[in-house]
Amino acid sequence: MKLFNKFTAIVLASALVISAGATLTSAASSLSGKITVNGSSALLPMTLQAAKEFKKKNPRVRIAASGSGSITGPQSVKKGIADIGAVDWDASTSVPGFPAFSGQVATPVAVIPFAAIVNKNVSVDNLTSDQLKGIYTGKIKNWKEVGGADAAIVVVTRSFGSGTRVNFELKALGGTRIDEKASGSIAASNSGTMATTVGSKPNSIGYVDLPYIKGDIKALKFEGVEATTANIVNGKYKIWGTGYYMTAGQPTGATKAFIDYVTSKEFQQGSLKKLKFIPLASIKK
Amino acid sequence: MSTMLQRAGNGEGSTVLKQSPYKEKPRSFDRLFRTRLNNKMFRIICFSSIALLCIVLFSIILFIGRTGILAFQSVPAATFFLSTNWTPEDEQFGAGLFIYGTLALTALTLLISTPISVGIAVFLSEIAPDWVKKTVRPILDLLVGIPSVVYGYLGLTVLIPFLQNVFGQPIGEGLLAAALVLTLMTLPTIARVSDDSIVAVPKKYRDAAYALGSTRLQVITKIVLPAANRGIMSAVILGMARAIGETMAVVMVIGNSPIIAEGLFGATSVLTSNIVMQIMNVAFDSTWNYALYMMAFLLLLISLILIILIRVIRPKGEVNV
Repeated sequence: MKLFNKFTAIVLASALVISAGATLTSAASSLSGKITVNGSSALLPMTLQAAKEFKKKNPRVRIAASGSGSITGPQSVKKGIADIGAVDWDASTSVPGFPAFSGQVATPVAVIPFAAIVNKNVSVDNLTSDQLKGIYTGKIKNWKEVGGADAAIVVVTRSFGSGTRVNFELKALGGTRIDEKASGSIAASNSGTMATTVGSKPNSIGYVDLPYIKGDIKALKFEGVEATTANIVNGKYKIWGTGYYMTAGQPTGATKAFIDYVTSKEFQQGSLKKLKFIPLASIKK
Repeated sequence: MSTMLQRAGNGEGSTVLKQSPYKEKPRSFDRLFRTRLNNKMFRIICFSSIALLCIVLFSIILFIGRTGILAFQSVPAATFFLSTNWTPEDEQFGAGLFIYGTLALTALTLLISTPISVGIAVFLSEIAPDWVKKTVRPILDLLVGIPSVVYGYLGLTVLIPFLQNVFGQPIGEGLLAAALVLTLMTLPTIARVSDDSIVAVPKKYRDAAYALGSTRLQVITKIVLPAANRGIMSAVILGMARAIGETMAVVMVIGNSPIIAEGLFGATSVLTSNIVMQIMNVAFDSTWNYALYMMAFLLLLISLILIILIRVIRPKGEVNV
């Protein structure tokens, strides 16, 4: 009996404390709610940073963000388990291999720069779109065919469904699909593994987003243009993708406020740039 | 837990009885009754824990199996198991190459791992001096605890460049690299369990053999190993179960191409690595998703068969010793 009384007392006391806490915070901000963000792991660092800053301004809004792969984003929105689906391409239109998600609104949030990369032992430092197409469809199998040394090309790719792969196929290969069987490629499970694999494997070629390029890999020039943010901004370098937030219909309430914050000048020119993404406003379309 | 509850009940009970203002307190609430109630409650809690575990386990199996079977709505079972054409983006779901890859990788791993592990076990239990036993056994136990992703990363950054240099292959990824990594991972398991079963062979067998004038090699090969046979078998099966189910290390060194391995080098895929590479990127209600679940169910069945095999072998081994 005594035990039971103690237990009741504890429950009552904690209930009181919690309700008191709730009334205290409710005074701080008018905006409240819970936002769930799911999807692209490439956009996750940006989402987390934005969530941190947004929560400081709106303490009553709770934001849960996770990254498990681009296609998960719009799918979670479709299933109703996420308010925002982060994805590396515009999922309201169809892209090679993926149908459009109808009824969802895509809001562009950031520009993600990509580059074709090679191991540092490769002497080639520039490839055209056609040469990349040849390599990734198995028509070009030796570096000497593109002006390099006489060595077999080791092709590294990302598995089907990766946002990086979708963007690489769209922008660098002009919509051509990568052919694993013909090119004899090996697949890396994420950007980090891609960088490690290409870095540790002589004569290998791959592709990755710019922040990952360091160490034993070098970024290739594409059509003679160096892969830099400056060249993306001035429109010369073509391999980049746009990250989108997908919502079921037009965003409302806290979700809208959060997306507005992410696309605001304050965030785009500040934290977004520091995370090595490119602000949307910098790109001339 | 139960004894603590009981003791607390005892102490409290006696004071309550003395000071209780309710003289007409029902007899059924006496100490004996409460002790029995406590025991009964404890038993109910234990039983329900087990029941909960069983329910969760069976729902997992049921869920995976049910989702997996949906794959056969659009893919004939024969195509799924026998075809080696896995291009899900073109609606081609042939898991045959992954099944082949899994079996080939496991076989190759055991081929390398078993002789080495049993050698280590024999050395540890029969030949090594005490101080070596005392240092090597904890080291083997420690090796089991290293996360597999660490083995995978070492494989990717150390083993694969090494294989490329030694064998002059453009690609180091493939069956051999994965088998070598898995060998390192299954080796402690197989070695320690075999070690234990060799130690369990009664000393009198050895003494008798030595008394007949056998050499140490004869004692080991003719007496000890046959006597510990079943223990070693279950050690190998345990290692095999680990090799089949291992994912993180394999995915980093096997190359992950949906192609049948042409020899020891050249990228290929196994069931586990293909599931982990693709499950994040598939639509929830697609044949592709169901096909991946079917592959998971297949793995589950394989491990289940292995576990049953161990259960069948084990008791007989104990009777033998």
